[in-house]
Amino acid sequence: MENGDNEVHGVIFVDVGEIRVAVFRIEGTNCEDETVKAFSELGIYSEAVHLKQFYSDMIRDRDQRSISDYNCIVFPGGFSAGDYIRAGAIFSSRVKSVLFNDLKDFVIDGYPVLGICNGFQILAELGMLPGFDEDKPIGTVEMALSINDSNKFECRPSLLKLENKEKCVFTKTLRKNIVMFPVAHAEGKVTFPMGREEEYVDRLRVNDQIVFRYVDDHGDYASYPWNPNGSLYNIAGLCNVTGNVFGLMPHPERAFYEYHGGDGRFIFESVIEYLKKI
Amino acid sequence: MMYSKVEVPFELFEIQILDATDEDLINISQELGLALNLEEMKRIKDYFKKKGRNPTDIEIQSIGQAWSEHCCYKSSKYYLKKSIFKSKADYVILAIEEDAGVAEFDEDHAYVVALESHNHPSAIEPYGGAATGIGGILRDVLCMGSQPVALIDPLFFGEPATPVEEIPPGTKHPLYLLSGVVSGIRDYGNRVGIPTVSGSLFFDQSYLTNCIVNVGCVGIAPKKNIIRSRAGNAGDIFILAGGFTGRDGIHGVTFASAELHEKSEEESRSAVQLGNPIIKEPIIHSCLELVEKKLITGMKDLGGGGLSCVVGEMAHSAGFGAEVHLEKVPLKEENMAPWEIWVSESQERMMVTVRPKNVDEVLYVFQKWDVPATIIGSVTKEKSLRVYFQDYKIYEMDIDFVTSGVEYCRPYTALKNKVDETDTSSPPENYEKTFIDIISHPNVASREWVIRQYDHEVRASTVLKPLHGRFNFEGPGDASIIKPTKSYKGLSLCVATNPWLVKTNPYWGTASIVDEMIRNLVSVNSVPHSFADCLNFGNPEKEERMGEFVECVEAMGWMVDGIGIPCLSGNVSLYNETVHGSIAPTPSLLGLGLIDDIRNSITSDLKRKGDPIVLIGETKKEFGGSLYSAVTGANGKVPRTSPELLKSYSDAMLESFNEFEVVACHDLSEGGLAVGIAEMCIGSGIGASIDLSGMKEETYTKLFSESNTRWLVEIKESDLSDYLSLFNSKGLNVIVLGATGGNNLTFTDGAFSFSLSVEEIEQAWRTGITRYTG
Repeated sequence: MENGDNEVHGVIFVDVGEIRVAVFRIEGTNCEDETVKAFSELGIYSEAVHLKQFYSDMIRDRDQRSISDYNCIVFPGGFSAGDYIRAGAIFSSRVKSVLFNDLKDFVIDGYPVLGICNGFQILAELGMLPGFDEDKPIGTVEMALSINDSNKFECRPSLLKLENKEKCVFTKTLRKNIVMFPVAHAEGKVTFPMGREEEYVDRLRVNDQIVFRYVDDHGDYASYPWNPNGSLYNIAGLCNVTGNVFGLMPHPERAFYEYHGGDGRFIFESVIEYLKKI
Repeated sequence: MMYSKVEVPFELFEIQILDATDEDLINISQELGLALNLEEMKRIKDYFKKKGRNPTDIEIQSIGQAWSEHCCYKSSKYYLKKSIFKSKADYVILAIEEDAGVAEFDEDHAYVVALESHNHPSAIEPYGGAATGIGGILRDVLCMGSQPVALIDPLFFGEPATPVEEIPPGTKHPLYLLSGVVSGIRDYGNRVGIPTVSGSLFFDQSYLTNCIVNVGCVGIAPKKNIIRSRAGNAGDIFILAGGFTGRDGIHGVTFASAELHEKSEEESRSAVQLGNPIIKEPIIHSCLELVEKKLITGMKDLGGGGLSCVVGEMAHSAGFGAEVHLEKVPLKEENMAPWEIWVSESQERMMVTVRPKNVDEVLYVFQKWDVPATIIGSVTKEKSLRVYFQDYKIYEMDIDFVTSGVEYCRPYTALKNKVDETDTSSPPENYEKTFIDIISHPNVASREWVIRQYDHEVRASTVLKPLHGRFNFEGPGDASIIKPTKSYKGLSLCVATNPWLVKTNPYWGTASIVDEMIRNLVSVNSVPHSFADCLNFGNPEKEERMGEFVECVEAMGWMVDGIGIPCLSGNVSLYNETVHGSIAPTPSLLGLGLIDDIRNSITSDLKRKGDPIVLIGETKKEFGGSLYSAVTGANGKVPRTSPELLKSYSDAMLESFNEFEVVACHDLSEGGLAVGIAEMCIGSGIGASIDLSGMKEETYTKLFSESNTRWLVEIKESDLSDYLSLFNSKGLNVIVLGATGGNNLTFTDGAFSFSLSVEEIEQAWRTGITRYTG
């Protein structure tokens, strides 16, 4: 209620105490603890929820969950199910088979979904990003996060330039042009169908869906190591056409505190601000 | 006939030991892959004579596991007790006794540390060998009830430039091994989500046929959650959780307790286990949930020796016995003989003991995480171990006999008087060239190629990363710091090792690496707190090798006892030897320090232009085992030190950090002062002008000698005189060497001078390893 805009726009605020964030986990997701912690640090109830808790018979009543219990869903970083097939492929197909309709309605209702690193790969595999069709937030697969140009796992700092004008609900409180979040992945190169790359980039730009691009320490678009994976158009993060589904390769939760030397906090603050008004 | 089949509906043999001659006994040991000597075989014979029957295959295999060098430290224990284990501290919660050591982190928390070798498996199958090494060390830390928070990996290989035609048969190229080992650690560590924050990489031709892979892990737990690797009470139920049991990893420990040879790959491939981090990750969650909910009485991981060791040790250390029904163990493959199930070292398995009333709840927790879990037996009051298979009793021995093992006081050759430390060093013909040779040497050059393949930031608690300085163009750091709890208190971690020093002089070389470990911890402004060691040596049955070992542990004991830091955990790896020779004696140390507030940590990169650079410590002509000697082909005296000297300097350094704004600090090690300052420049891109004229000794000694107990610091100009006084007042050596600034690193000494651009130095340093790895 510290924000005075609410009355002007007639928006009803949700009490922060009512916001509930689910950080999804299965075997091999491994950034859920720090992601939960980032929300908790800002006073938000957040919990790591195993996908089984939504559907499995063996789960006791007290552990059972439904998507409608939450206002925000996060697919965290890690190596879900080992990523032995293709990054994010197994997790996304499990989600599709058990939560397709619930998740679709969740997005259509305007609730935010965040995918970090492996989570971004999962959103791409689910067809939730680039997410051009607002009526079909879970669509066909139109992009991939392919193997880094260096052909190696890359754990390093990355500098990101905010490109989003107003659409993405995860970046609205950012007051800086360039931020540092570290990356740590082997498959993070944004790739679109061959021969149609330009068309995709244009469409994303027109729609204001490009959120972050990799830059160097002068703020210029630059190649390796600043663009750690060889991503098309230096894209580091994208949102869907309605701005409530956001995926990025760099890890804001690893740049949350001052001692991390980064600016990740505002990603979480932004979505909380958004949730207060939804 | 030494073996006869027992009349049961599965594979079981009786070993005819009672009538066996000495020669038969040796044959039995060899044919069954027991790696036991005649003495030990005779002891088994005597035991069964009293019982009035022959042992079954599963019984004798079980003894082979329990009495292996790997499990019972029969060659090393005697000397370790006399030296390293002497150093004590009141904050130690558990040292040496179990798979991992435990010490107090703060009032409510404890940290857990384990370090061990995974050498032979990695030499045979580098990817799988290293990966399972990580898996095993994680379980060691987990089974104390702690959350693993950091991985550490000291690695040693043959020279990367070795021509392919010089690789002996049955051996793999060092670059193949390096790449395989790093990939194995990467794919396991990254997948399981534990950051690899520290390590070391060393190349020497003595590792050509026997690479060394040490893996360490640190965990954190509320003190009240620390759980022992022992059963709680008679009547408790054994629950085996995690992966299924297969034929992979049979005889891993006995294989680790003998020399490698040309045919090792064909014969011992099955001794290398297969790891699966995606089974491990839920095991970590489920075990920690059980600990948090107080549902288990004991927990131990299945490592070397498999079920045979874990059941025996959990029961034995609690003063009980056990009864196991082996047919209940879930298997990967059909028709495994009971003895194979009993000794298999298949990965990703944990054993917990549970009070009967909590069994259902424990099984639910495992099931929730999709971790298979099975009841396989129970704890008994009688101190004997009984194993059944399909209702047939196939094993019954006194638990004391099996797990007590043997202990040797092996003879050794004293090497102290044999060490040649004649100084044959001379000034280099071309300083610039020698300096570039040193800074680009694979033992000094950037480890970025390795470091960035490891996720060193997962868990978001890595405060000081392995590389320090400007984004994407960092320099090397001395230690990493993690922040494992909510408070600002941090845990610093470093590796110290230098086989060249130890090879040249085992005693002073080892003292030097203890010195380096303390220096590294102090550099980042942490107080040295404890350490773990992994002692990698050649065949202990050879008196010279044993001599290296004995002198190493004596020096280490002298240093750590004098400084007052305890050894929490360790591992001895012997038999690192092939027909081509032994490895250089390789003690590797994992140092741990505490820092009250992580925001006060200090990095190695220069920060500003125009700041004074100060050298603390004394520089002497000590070139034995140095990088300068390696590059120029010289010999000399291995650097000396003493615990008293090291303690007074370390305390003064920490005091100076407290009183003054020290903006950068780096310890001096391989390559001496020249490399130390160069690395500080690389991390920032800022140059420095160094005037050596105030130091004693010849110019090349000042630049390249590797004397111990030295640091370089960057401080504020206005603090300079007070800073110097602090050290002077204590009678400690301190000298201003120059100032930061410019684009060049320039050394002058009277009329002598040479200068190189930081860019050129950085280029040489950054490509020193990638020129081989690509």
